Amino acid sequence: MTSNRWHEHGDRWGELLAAAQRGDSEAYRDFLRAIIPFVRGIARRRCWSEQLSEDVVQDVLLTVHRVRHTYQPGRPVEPWLAAIVVRRSIDAIRKRGRIGAKEVFNELAYETFADPGANEPLDGDAPRTLARMTRGLSQGQQEAIELVKIQELTLAEASVISGQSIASLKVNVHRAMKKLRLNLSKDPPA
Amino acid sequence: MTSLRTDSLIDRLAAGVAPVRPLPAPELRALMALATIVATAALAVAWFGDFAELRNRYSGRETHLALEMAAILATAAIAIVAAFFVSIPGRSKRWIAAPIPFFAGWLLVTGLGCYGNLGRGGGVEWELGESLHCLAFIVATSAALAPLLVWRLACARPIDPLPVALLAGLGVAASSAFVLQFFHPFTVTFIDLAVHLTAILVVVGTVGLLNRHTLVRA
Repeated sequence: MTSNRWHEHGDRWGELLAAAQRGDSEAYRDFLRAIIPFVRGIARRRCWSEQLSEDVVQDVLLTVHRVRHTYQPGRPVEPWLAAIVVRRSIDAIRKRGRIGAKEVFNELAYETFADPGANEPLDGDAPRTLARMTRGLSQGQQEAIELVKIQELTLAEASVISGQSIASLKVNVHRAMKKLRLNLSKDPPA
Repeated sequence: MTSLRTDSLIDRLAAGVAPVRPLPAPELRALMALATIVATAALAVAWFGDFAELRNRYSGRETHLALEMAAILATAAIAIVAAFFVSIPGRSKRWIAAPIPFFAGWLLVTGLGCYGNLGRGGGVEWELGESLHCLAFIVATSAALAPLLVWRLACARPIDPLPVALLAGLGVAASSAFVLQFFHPFTVTFIDLAVHLTAILVVVGTVGLLNRHTLVRA
């Protein structure tokens, strides 16, 4: 896609983002969906891995949400957005470098039994176990567990998505973990 | 799979979007910060400044004094304005280097002044003497001014806080050095210049190191 075409989109994006600043959720949804190809294009040029670039796309969406007040209506959106994507790509590459320098992935390390079949999860077993374990959790606790423990988002990211404060998230995760331990000990799998 | 997660993320973000007030233009925010710093410094200088001593110290060298003060003031103002521009995504990265020529000019003019003092029979003084007071003054004044500036910069939640913090550190250190001119009871020597430079590096380094704690990263 040429830069001229991005420029044509830019005016529309500027209007949508300005509307989002006023609290228009439909305009905000349209804006976030519209920028995905632009964000993905820059992220793929910067990151060598498909998975890493998709992580960058999601990180950029969260960052855009946090800094949407820094966009000045009437100014072009592309330089503002491109700077965020480039920064988040650099952060992601550095983070991967740090993790890669300290951690080694060993597929065999996850095998616990000699029989290969014994290491395969049973079909549908995990969702049932999860549903049983999360029984009795409040909605806030379920959301906190899903975002922080299952999706492995940072507290700041989970806070943006859930609307809960970081302190509330910490409390909800702590209480949910306590309940999960209790449920597991009361109701062992059949 | 990832696309599904991205779609779900977009829906969640859009559903919870709250109205936000766009930040004023960086030049306007910088002007407001500068006005506060200037007002605070002007009050301190009016109350405690020794203008007679300043005139006496630079007697016959008024041009040099004007150049030195202008260079210090320009370094402070440009560094603070640059910090506000760099804190906004998409603004020119050239702002990071903007204060460097003025900072270099400040060091050059002050260095030439020190050299001139040698010619007037000032001799070479290599003892620290009162210079440590200058270091304490610059660090203490910067510590008083920095929170105000950092608080204003933190409103933008910079995506890359380090350059913003370094520019803010240079801005407050140069502002403090400018105020120091009104309290400096003796002619600047090379050792004073080195101590002033050390104080500036201490302030810039400290604000830079604290960037992740003081500037809320986006």
